[in-house]
Amino acid sequence: MKIGIPRALLYSIYLPLWKTFLESLGHQIVMSSHTDKKILDNGVKFCVDDACLPIKIFHGHVMDLAHKTDAVLVPRLVSIHPEEYICPKFIGLPEMIKHSVPGSPSLLVMDYNARSGTEKAYHGMKTLGRELGASEKLIKRALSEARIRQAEHERRMEREKGLNPAHALDGKGMEGIIRLEQGTIGLIGHPYLVYDQFINMDICNKLAARGYGTVFPENIPMADIEAACKRYPKKMFWSYGKRLLGAGLTMMGDRQVDGLILLTSFGCGIDSFVDELLVIANRRKYKLPLTIITLDEHTGQAGFNTRLEAFIDMIEWRRRYDNYIPAHGLAVYTGKGTFR
Amino acid sequence: MTITFPHMGWLYIPVKALFDDLNVPIVVPPPINNKTLEIGTLLAPEMACLPMKINLGNYVQSIENGADTIVLTGSCGPCRFGYYGVVEQEILRDQGYDVDIIILDAPGRDPREFVNRISRITGRSPLFKGLKAFFQASKIIEEMDKLQQVFLRKRPRELAKGETDRIQTRFEKEVMKCKGSREILALIEKYRHKAETIQERPDTTPLRIGLVGEIYTLIEPYVNLNVEKKLGSLGVEVHRGITIRDWVKTHLSLDLKYKKERKEKLDKGAGYLNLCIGGHAWETIASAVHYADMGLDGVIQILPFGCMPEIVAESIIPTISKDLDIPAMTLTVDELTGEAGYQTRLEAFVDLLSRRKEIIYEQA
Repeated sequence: MKIGIPRALLYSIYLPLWKTFLESLGHQIVMSSHTDKKILDNGVKFCVDDACLPIKIFHGHVMDLAHKTDAVLVPRLVSIHPEEYICPKFIGLPEMIKHSVPGSPSLLVMDYNARSGTEKAYHGMKTLGRELGASEKLIKRALSEARIRQAEHERRMEREKGLNPAHALDGKGMEGIIRLEQGTIGLIGHPYLVYDQFINMDICNKLAARGYGTVFPENIPMADIEAACKRYPKKMFWSYGKRLLGAGLTMMGDRQVDGLILLTSFGCGIDSFVDELLVIANRRKYKLPLTIITLDEHTGQAGFNTRLEAFIDMIEWRRRYDNYIPAHGLAVYTGKGTFR
Repeated sequence: MTITFPHMGWLYIPVKALFDDLNVPIVVPPPINNKTLEIGTLLAPEMACLPMKINLGNYVQSIENGADTIVLTGSCGPCRFGYYGVVEQEILRDQGYDVDIIILDAPGRDPREFVNRISRITGRSPLFKGLKAFFQASKIIEEMDKLQQVFLRKRPRELAKGETDRIQTRFEKEVMKCKGSREILALIEKYRHKAETIQERPDTTPLRIGLVGEIYTLIEPYVNLNVEKKLGSLGVEVHRGITIRDWVKTHLSLDLKYKKERKEKLDKGAGYLNLCIGGHAWETIASAVHYADMGLDGVIQILPFGCMPEIVAESIIPTISKDLDIPAMTLTVDELTGEAGYQTRLEAFVDLLSRRKEIIYEQA
């Protein structure tokens, strides 16, 4: 069977697991094309208006695959870590696709729920294997092969700083360079924003052109992330929320970066909280240059570029004029809030 | 220690009774008004959902009236509500408000911590007194729910336009002057009697609309721009499954019969959505199917802008509407919602439904 995998949402993180599993079961995998204008337009047209950009784009990718393949894989990621969740829209994603995409393409829904234990997470994949008519023995072998590949991918993301996992999957390898002559920018955002060059308007290369390398949340070890999140009285129950928050705090705390850019999609519920916590922490303690860039389907390059340039200028001016003491006695960059 | 809490419809009535009975000083936040929303919008993150903005406004207005401890319930995701407490605390601290936030999470993992937090609130009251207060509060929730149902039934049928609203307003004013659960229960009883005796127009069969959607938006009239009163005065009987009583029964009580009924109701929507995706999306879908089965004339879904679970429900509702032949409309509210546009949409929807009913009637 020809199975399509949409190149959207968390594919850059989980593709080795899904792809190896299905290939080992003897199916042919077709990837959707990289996000482009047509995919975006289709997604925006058929998805509900209130959804966020990445969800809309996922709709577009499914439509891209609908005619090329026998079935499209729609992962239902309920939870990727015990006792944690990810965004509710991921859980309801198969339903959203089913009720919004025209022509009702045949969907393969693959559950992944690690909420009550990592081992139990693979139940959904086994069920899918059975539905596809594979024998128990084959499923077992395919799954173990897939998990080995996935573990390799995850190790690589953590080890090779500045690696864009989406590029790694395309076989392009290490291309992001963590330290360029000017410095490093921490890019905090969900994988589907940070690693998709179309959505984020090629931010990494734009920064590189100004001489800045980038470091991503996936490059921060999990142990550091857990430790950094301990300061809040209640466990952050979104896995990606926790990763972004912990990675941001670690980058600020270690002074690994010259500035932070928080990439968020318009209407993202998780980011609305994570970004607020990061901004408050930065204002109180770390006082690094920080900006929030919101992305949506209204793709205006000019405004985006201007904001990026202004941010870089701010970092460089700060370096140059840091010792300036104004007449009223306060240093310019005390980092106090906008209103008190 | 002076406790305050966020508003949600009539939630303040049982909460006030509970703390009055326990002799714990509380500040009931001033009724939600535009100032509340203004404060909340200024303090909360831009993309935060509307309930959080209103919550923050409530807290600040209560702090101005002398509160120093905030109590709110929590949950563990995946809806944003579960993390309100932490973010709100950070924001308030950032603004220089020195307050404690006590989050009452479900006592799953750590029952001792839960008891700890409860006893921080109840202070030194003996256990017996505490239990009695909780019992009385749950009784108020039951009674108040019945009163609300009477108002909902009477509003489209009242002979003198606006009488139900007048009685409800008077009730809401007087209840603030009551102290303790006994007085409140007596008042509810009195007003239920008053409401029951509102004169009805002879032989009216009002249109019936089911409200579904996010719990806070459905329950808090300021946020949904008084949708129940608006629809009621357009001559529509409003059905709403999600109430404070429903929330308490689901999360805090051991009523097995209720839980079984709830499960049965949720199973009705299984063909469309068959798992909890956080918030009340599952209930939204199941209720929409339920209302179609009941033969209601239409369904309105209300959600705050950006509500993650309800967006999923929003994409399923058109299919239900088509499959079960029931008109449905989605209304998204946020701090920029204008009343006039909202009223127009409601009126248009009601017109559409009544015309549809006429056509069906003529054909039959």
